[in-house]
Amino acid sequence: MLHRRIYQFLIIFLMGIALLFLVKYLFGLSNYVIPSPVDLKTTLGMVYKSYGMDVASTLTVAIIGQVASIFLALLVGILGRQTTWFGSFIKVAAYNVQAYPIVAIAPIIFILFGDGFFSRLLIAAMICYFPILLSVLGIMSEPVKEIEHFYRVTGRMRWQLEVKIRAFENLGKLTTVISGSATLAMAGTIVAEFIAANQGIGYSIRIALYQSDLSKILVALFLIGITLAVYQGLLEVAGNMIKKGWSRG
Amino acid sequence: MALTCDNIVYRYPGASTEVFSGLSFSIVEPGFNALFGPSGVGKTSLAKIIVGEIDGSSGGVKADGMTRLFYSYNLERLPDWSSVGKHLDRIAPVSSESLREALIEAFGMADYLGLRFSQLSLGQQNRINLMRYLLQEFDLLIMDESLANVDEKTRESIILNIKAMFPDRHFLYISHNVVEVSKFCRDIVVLRDALKNPQTVSLTGIDIQNHQTLDKERLEQTMLEIMNAS
Repeated sequence: MLHRRIYQFLIIFLMGIALLFLVKYLFGLSNYVIPSPVDLKTTLGMVYKSYGMDVASTLTVAIIGQVASIFLALLVGILGRQTTWFGSFIKVAAYNVQAYPIVAIAPIIFILFGDGFFSRLLIAAMICYFPILLSVLGIMSEPVKEIEHFYRVTGRMRWQLEVKIRAFENLGKLTTVISGSATLAMAGTIVAEFIAANQGIGYSIRIALYQSDLSKILVALFLIGITLAVYQGLLEVAGNMIKKGWSRG
Repeated sequence: MALTCDNIVYRYPGASTEVFSGLSFSIVEPGFNALFGPSGVGKTSLAKIIVGEIDGSSGGVKADGMTRLFYSYNLERLPDWSSVGKHLDRIAPVSSESLREALIEAFGMADYLGLRFSQLSLGQQNRINLMRYLLQEFDLLIMDESLANVDEKTRESIILNIKAMFPDRHFLYISHNVVEVSKFCRDIVVLRDALKNPQTVSLTGIDIQNHQTLDKERLEQTMLEIMNAS
């Protein structure tokens, strides 16, 4: 699973690079517009260490933001699963708020909280929170009638059991959503860094953009992609382990 | 204890015609009784109205002296996070230890208690599901195809054992099997199309008990009566 994720990323990235070189040589573009393979290799050698640290910093923020989002989404999703006024309110609010582009709020966050760690974390968490919340709400609001019936009619149903049944029956979906939200958390952090932060790979990409240095941007993209592929693969492996462990009782 | 349905009228949400129009019947004595009828006539809906799982019907369901009315059906599942034996342990009242053992024996499930629900065959799944209902305190248990996918011999043994173990409880057995219904049930309520009047016909089955010899002539006669009534 982990290997598959890495192979998939490498294939797509190499195809993208090949396309760039094809365009470069087809239209005779200069190294200033699209760097040559030699330039790319030289830049990789020069910046991989500092960019690696930047990606690690970005990934740390993304992971913390994602974990916070998951816990909050599970909490709100469990509270909002019921067909009560509160449950309906949470669902409607979640659907409406998630339709608003969070990135558009990013400048306000930077103005209020500055360009440090907290702003990056908040934006990362906000970007991946709503998709997770909508999935958790969908899963938790849908009764598994053929399992729940017995517990309901015999008066044994408690909210903990209801949540356990619905989570267990939808573990595959939950794992996919959590693994998918890693991309959103990473994207959110990079966008935040790109807009105003003073750390992380998004910040380095902004500098590279000001220098019009495409080779640095490509190196950054490679490092982001490979890191994300490994992280998502690990999340999937963890999800499968939880599923197997739970099924074994 | 008696179950009486009096002039029940019900229409499925969004439907233009009624599925029950003035449906009435009563089952007075406890024991193994049947609700028989062709597919789509509304047996499951009627069962759910009786136990209160469906609202919106008019008329009355009177369950004199009965407070715990359960409806079980053959598509129910047990969560797969632990073995069916552990599930049974959790839902069986402490006082029902001997009943639990007797049911495991009667249902032929002793060798499968260590397995998870998804590892069982369909027939075994239905047996374990029915067992957990029988382990509860109940006054009326509606069994909607609860022994589907169980082979005929085992089904017969299970029904006879249930009759012997719970002589003072009400059972309403929903089945399409006319032989089974005629043979094992006492009161047989034949549910007919909403256009027919009356919508139910009550007949008396053979209600065979353990170690009793079957009167084949009477069986044929009962089967004919059911088929004519439906």
